[in-house]
This record gives sequence, C-alpha cells and structure tokens, in this order.
Amino acid sequence: MQIITRSWDKIDPLNINSYIRQRGYEALQKVVRELTPADVIKEIKNSGLRGRGGAGFPTGEKWEMAAGTPSDAKYFICNLDESEPGTYKDRTIVEKNPHQIIEGLLIGAYAIGAKKTFIYINGNYKKQAEILRIAIGQAHEKELLGRGILGSAVDIEIEVFEGAGAYICGEETALINSIEGKRGEPRLKPPFPPIAGLFGKPTIVNNAETLANIPYILRQGAKKYSQIGSSVSPGTKLFILSGVARNKGIIEAPLGITAQELIYNFLYGGGLEAGKEFWFAQIGGTSGRLLPAGKLDQPLTYGNCEYPIGSGSILIVDKNANIKDYLLSWAGFFHRESCGKCVPCREGTYRLWEIAKRLKNNDLCEKDRENIEDILWTLANSSFCPLGKFASVAWSDAIKMFPDKIFKA
Amino acid sequence: MQIKINNKLYNCEDSDTVLAVCKKNGIQIPTLCAHPDLLPSEGVCRMCLVETNQSKCLVSSCTQKVCDGLEVSTETVDVNKARKINLELLWADHAGKCAKCKKNGRCELQNMAEVYDIDEFKFVPRRKELKSENELDLLKDNWSHTVVDEKNPCISRDSQYCIECRRCVRVCKELQTIEALGVNYRSSKTNVGTPYEEPLDCIFCGQCAAVCPTAAITEKDDTEKLEKALADPKKMVVIQVAPSVRFSFGEEFGQPTGTFWEGKLVAALKELGADKVFDTALGADLTIVEEATELIKRIKKSEFTRRSLGEGGPMFTSCCPSWVLFVEKYFPQYLPNLSTCKSPQQMLGALTKTYWAEKEKIDPKNIVSVAIMPCTSKKYEAQREEMDGDVDIVITVRELARLLRKKKINPAYLDEKRFDPALGISTGAGILFAQSGGVMEAALRTAVEKLTGEELGKLEFEMVRGEAEYRCAEIEIDKIKLRVAVVHEIRNARKLLEDIKSGKEKFDFVEVMACPNGCIGGGGQPQPTNKFVRSARIKAVLDRDKNMPLRKSHENPAVKKLYKEFLGVPGGQKAEELLHTKYTNRKK
Repeated sequence: MQIITRSWDKIDPLNINSYIRQRGYEALQKVVRELTPADVIKEIKNSGLRGRGGAGFPTGEKWEMAAGTPSDAKYFICNLDESEPGTYKDRTIVEKNPHQIIEGLLIGAYAIGAKKTFIYINGNYKKQAEILRIAIGQAHEKELLGRGILGSAVDIEIEVFEGAGAYICGEETALINSIEGKRGEPRLKPPFPPIAGLFGKPTIVNNAETLANIPYILRQGAKKYSQIGSSVSPGTKLFILSGVARNKGIIEAPLGITAQELIYNFLYGGGLEAGKEFWFAQIGGTSGRLLPAGKLDQPLTYGNCEYPIGSGSILIVDKNANIKDYLLSWAGFFHRESCGKCVPCREGTYRLWEIAKRLKNNDLCEKDRENIEDILWTLANSSFCPLGKFASVAWSDAIKMFPDKIFKA
Repeated sequence: MQIKINNKLYNCEDSDTVLAVCKKNGIQIPTLCAHPDLLPSEGVCRMCLVETNQSKCLVSSCTQKVCDGLEVSTETVDVNKARKINLELLWADHAGKCAKCKKNGRCELQNMAEVYDIDEFKFVPRRKELKSENELDLLKDNWSHTVVDEKNPCISRDSQYCIECRRCVRVCKELQTIEALGVNYRSSKTNVGTPYEEPLDCIFCGQCAAVCPTAAITEKDDTEKLEKALADPKKMVVIQVAPSVRFSFGEEFGQPTGTFWEGKLVAALKELGADKVFDTALGADLTIVEEATELIKRIKKSEFTRRSLGEGGPMFTSCCPSWVLFVEKYFPQYLPNLSTCKSPQQMLGALTKTYWAEKEKIDPKNIVSVAIMPCTSKKYEAQREEMDGDVDIVITVRELARLLRKKKINPAYLDEKRFDPALGISTGAGILFAQSGGVMEAALRTAVEKLTGEELGKLEFEMVRGEAEYRCAEIEIDKIKLRVAVVHEIRNARKLLEDIKSGKEKFDFVEVMACPNGCIGGGGQPQPTNKFVRSARIKAVLDRDKNMPLRKSHENPAVKKLYKEFLGVPGGQKAEELLHTKYTNRKK
C-alpha cells in the first residue's frame, strides 16, 4: 500500500506540472471549490489520521480546536524540523515530492482559516529548503497559493522558515518560540497552540508527513483511508530502517504492522544482513524504547501501545554490538540537545553523559550505579517537557534488559 | 472553589495556582524560580513539585492552576525524592564555596540543601573519594563556562553561583523592560548573562540582585573600602543614612518586616566607628525646597504662554539615579525636563564637604563621606563626574548588615542613638522619600504653601498615595491646575514617556522611581523583598511621617539655618552651584 511514496521517482520535484499530471492539487481544487472548512475538518476526523511527528494526536481534532477558537488571525505551521537521529523521512518527502506537503498545508490552512503559514525547516536542510522555495514559487505562478487561490476569495501565503537545527525546536511550542525570535524552549501547556500559539493566536503545528497524507484523504475519501492500516490509527507510515536490516532506508507500510513483519518480510526490511543475529530494536529513534526478540509480535501503531513508534525510525541492533557505545551515544545526544530550561534535564543529561563516558572506559565510580537510577528517575518524573522523559527511555530499558552487560566490566 | 491539599479542604480563587493556595495557608513548598513579583511562574526549577489526582507525573505547583476536584499531596515519597535529586544536581553545578560567599547563611539554595539533607558530593565526588587517578577528570568540569563581571560600580556577577532560575532575566525584562540579562548557550552550558557576554551595561537598579536566590548576582561589595577608612586615624568618616533604610534594616537582624529601627541603626554605625552620622532625610528636605522652587519657576515661566496642562512636557524628579540613567540612555529628548536638583544623597554629601567642613574647620580631603543606601545605583551616582566625589563610598543595606555581622555588632543589644544634629534633623516630608509617591507628596506640601502663601490644612495628599503602579491626579493651587503623576518600575515609566510622546497624556510634574514601590523596594534592600514585605515597610513609613512633629520640608529648622548661614536663597547662586547638576545624552 503506497500513499506517500506512490508517485516518488515518477515526478520531477522541481517541476510542478509533473505533480499535477499525477492528480496533484486535485484535492486542493475540490476543497476550495466544493467544501466548507467544516467539511474538510469532518473528513479528516473521519479518516482517523493521527500526527506522524511522534505523539500521534488525532489531526482532525487538533484542527477543530483551532477552527473553533475565534481570532483575528490564525497560523498553520508545517513542522519540518526533523532532528531525531536516524530519521530522514520528511527530508526525503521534500526531495521526492515537495508539492505533496504544500498541498496538505494549504488544505489545512483553509480548514482552520489561516492566511499565513510557515514551513519550519531544520537549518541543516539547505538543499531541501531551496527545493521548497522553488516549489512554492511554481505554485504561486499557478495561483495555487497567494491571493485568491484558484480564483476564489481564499488567501494563503507560505513562508519557509529555517531553524538552526535544534532538536527541541521540533517540539511545537519551542518551534513557535523560535519563529517568534525567542530562545527555542518549550512553553508551558496549557494553553495549547491550537488555542494560543504563534504570537498568541490559534496555531496548528503538523508534521510534514501528516500533511502529505491530506491530499490523498480528500481525493479518495475518509472512508477508504480509514480502512488502511490499524483501526486505532489508520493509514500508512514511513518507517526508516537502520542498523543491521538488509533493506535500509525508507519503507512505507500500513500502521499496525508487527515489528516481525516489518523487519523480516522481503517487501519491507527483508531480514538482517548476512551473519547478523537480532539482539534488540530501538523503535522511534533515540527517544524510543528497546524491543527485545520476544516482543517482535508487537503491532507498530499510534495510540495506546507498549512500544510507541514515534517518528518511525527503527534501529536494529546485532548481538555483537557493545551496549555501552549506544548508552554513550544516547546520553551524548540528549546532553547536547537539552534546551537548558529545567533542572533535571539540563543537569541530569549532563551527569548521565559523564557517567556514560566512564562506563565506556570501564571506570565507574562507586555512586554511579545509584546515580544512574536517580537521574533516570528524575528525568522521567520531574522534567518540564517530554525531552527529559525521552532521555531516560532507552537507558531505563537497557538497564532493565541487560544489567550484566552494562555493569560487569 | 475548594481544593484538597494533604487531605484538608482549602478555599481558593479560580485563577489561583496550587502554590499560591499553599502559600496563603502556610503550607511550605520549596521554590527557587517562583517569586511573588514575577507571575505567572515558568516552572523552571522543579522544586515545587507536588502530586495530584489529575496527573500521573509530578507537576510543578507554581504552574498548576486549581480546578474542581483537585487533590494535592505536597510531601509524598516521590515528591521529596524528586526535590532531593534535583537539588543534588543543582548543587553539583554550583560553586559551593559557601564559607567565603557573600550570601552564606542567606542563600536560598543553601537553606534548601539543609532542609532536604542533600549529599553535596553525590555527582561530583571529593578527591579522596576517587578510586584511581583516571577519575581525576571528574573534578574538572569540562563544560563549565564561567563569567565574572565586575566592570560596573554597582553589580557583581559570577556565573559559578548561578542556578539558572532566571528570576533576574524576568525582573529585568518584565518589570524594568531593560532586557540587559538573558539566557546564553544551551544544555549544561546554559548561562544567564548579557548579550555576547559584554560587561553589564544597564540602569543598575539592582533588582536582579534583589531577586537572586544565590550569590550569582550581588551588589558590588564596598565594605572593604569602608573598613579601611574606619581604620585610618587621619580620616573623618561621616556616614549618612537614607530614609528607607531605617524601615528595612531590622529585617537583617531578625526583626519583623516594617520595624522602625532608626536609633539602633545610628547606634550600630557609631559602634562601627563612624565619627558622625547624618540623616539623608535632611538632604531630602533640601531637595524638596530646591525642587519646589524649580517647579514654581517652571510654572511661573510658562503661566502666560501655556494654553493647556503640561505644555512643554512635565518636570521629572531626579532623585532616582536609575531613572536618570534610563532617560539619558533611552529617552534623551526628555533630559531638559529632568529637575536639575541633585539627589538627597549628593546634596548632603556636598554640604558635608563644604558647609560642615568649613564649620568644623576640617580639610574636606580628610573627610570620607559614606552613604548607607537601599540602592545599588547610588554607587554609580556617587561616581558620576558631575558629582565631584562628594560621596566617597556607598554601602547597601545588605552590605552594612554583612559588615556588622562580621564585626559581631548586633544592633538589637545597643542603646538607641540620635543623628548628629549638624546635619541630622529631618521632617516627615523627607522620610516620605522612602516610598513611591513620597517625593511628590513632600514637594506638594511645600509648593502649595509657597504658591498660595497659606498654610495647608490637611497634609496627606491621598490621591498620590497607594501602591498602584501608575497614579495620576489633578491638583488646583491658586487657580493654577497642575496635573501630576507618580510611577514606579521602569516599565511604567516607559509607558508614561510613550504616552507623553504620543500626546495621549500631559503632565506638569512627575515622580519616577525605578524600583517597585520606590526605595523601599530598592535593589540593595534586605532579602527577601516582595510585594508583601514592601507593603509592611510602606505602612511603617507613613506611620512615621504621621507621628513626626515637623512634616514640611521648608519648616525644617536645619534647612532654614543652612540657607541663612550658607546657601542664601533656594535656587540662588550658591545653591545652584552646590545642589544642582546636569545630564548627558548617553544614547547608543
């Protein structure tokens, strides 16, 4: 089943006509000419689409909140900050088919009544930002955006906003702060952005992959979409396989697929590299949990599940790997990317990184084992935002699963 | 609404946070970033965590709003565990040089560490706890980045002590709109500092130091200079004391807020070794006489030409050095509107080294003129070129208390003493300078009598009193209508200037104080200072004024004597020379 990747490699990303030939912007035309904003929101709600950034919040409900908040201005933001290690799906969508995102963004802006929209793109994605600018320029020429879209009274502008590559700016309130010119730090919630976001106005922040699903849903209908994938979370998902999988890279699969199938089916992962033995998989990037061999039958989906899929990145680790390397890499990442706002995350990730370095050198101090437990506990229980909690996830799993490998020199 | 805290029901307002309800009801919750003057809180320090029935995680009580059916536990095992670990993490990043720290015994972090019984060496072990030489790098903090800034005369910064609570950042931005401080870098390198780590360049109000829980931002310490002067037998040390200090000084020695401790203060200074102790309130009375004369001059000058209120802009008071600096740096177009009067500190300093020195036949070079102030900015003011070094050393209340403790002087055990009479007699009007609205009221008491030539019946000008941040009033004197305003905190001063600029407001006379509620909330006052503490101090000031025999500056016998013996007439040549100053455009 292909939704996002369907026309990849069939179209020229720098030529809008090739997208239009693949039924591109059909959904936007339908929306602007035939549907009211309320119709669009209803359709998205019925489709059951959930956000693809990580949290998996129902997209239609989010839009409804912003649409229902009276305000003189509203904003719609496409989140293309994508900084989870091992995740490069949004970047690839831009490279393969940027108009998919733009069309979804325009439909979303129409649905909530936003005249100004942003594509917030990771500052390291220079090439992709350029592609987006070219695509936006071409869409402008075709009157698909700007003043009076397709001859209607709808005005929507898109601005490509380049961040500076901070991981935390993928968190929606930190992203909003960044656009406002402030430090990229999460805000207190509530108020949630759909009520009071950018410059205090109702704002939707949607992941790029989420938006790429929108044209399909409106073209094919919510009913058809809702039958794909799992019932709690319909549709397909871009998974990014890395580590010792035979087929590495981006793989589109229906949500609800089991880890076993995703990794071993020849349509997807195709098993492991020759001579490698499965040890565990990390589901959802550096902030994800570790899935042992015994849990391979777990469905990968959004909603309430034991192994949240996050951004969809799946790292498969071989039996011969050294867990201490991973621990150091995880601790180092979160230490670098902590925004510095709250105590447990700012100081805790730093001390954890220090301990990880000693662990790597088989040089643990007396209190270190107890300190690890304490840091992980306070990160999980007292951090200001989810980043602190994420920093403890893989470490906690690793310590539960392989204490001997970690603490025996 | 009612919520349950630790299984007991408490009444609360819909807009309350859990922390506010707890504070109101005497339930102790530790906080490092929350401050009553900085609301809403941001939930940075993760100390005020509590458990609720609405969330699986611990929540910060400073940000958690009350809601129906909310049940809160403030002292569970998890809550205390989180507080302890977070404190230990903070401590590992803190300088920890308690014994020689300015805030030793008065540091919020230190106090909390004691309550939660933390292990100071949990994350950074002591050298002797290390097993091998390899671990030595543990003691070297390879991410540490310290900034020490002592380049201005008022405020010291040392980021080793900083716990990144951000109170200073918020007070500077939200109350004072200066934004001199911000947050630099990210992750464990996060540091509170100035843009591009330039030396601090602000209006030196010291509110950052007043809210700092540790010794990261403090008043510049001048106690050593004072000790040196006191120890020098050739020097005559003359100390003056600002009006507001006598209402807050006691707090440093365990007295309740709002204790009036004038006699004890004078006694302590004498005990310390001061040769003479004078009263800055006398300088305030002088300021009023000069300023009222100037105001009348300005009114008379424009009487024939003015068509409406406040034509040509108002006259602004000039006794707050941070306010003066603010005008010089941000709104220099209003420099002509600043009263040319020196502040009470500088007037008294000038008279000490001229009038009093002449009278006592002392070489002014041998006089060390010291001022005990509630203010960090006064240190800067004393060093201004125009001031000719009339005041040599400025000591804040906190520094004085520190010095007294060091010298083992506890004023509580001393017999009260009086100011030295040569420059030590003051009136209620001078005392009123301690709080916002006081200069206005004192000036009106004098100006009205001088303009009308009649005695005032009621001395209290209720319309300029109160704690509101932006107070306006219209006063009719002898058929002249005056529109006056009183503002405190720079954010309100900025708003007022913008209002005047846009023509929205017109005034004849405006009093501005940079700190919340004026000097009583000054940057050099004892900690903690917050809205509740300030209210208690203000009450003490107003009570004192009411009970003074003399309440009008121009009736001060010492002032009258000064003009008769030395200065001539208010606004005259000698007064102009000694008691007035000029300003410079410092806009960048």
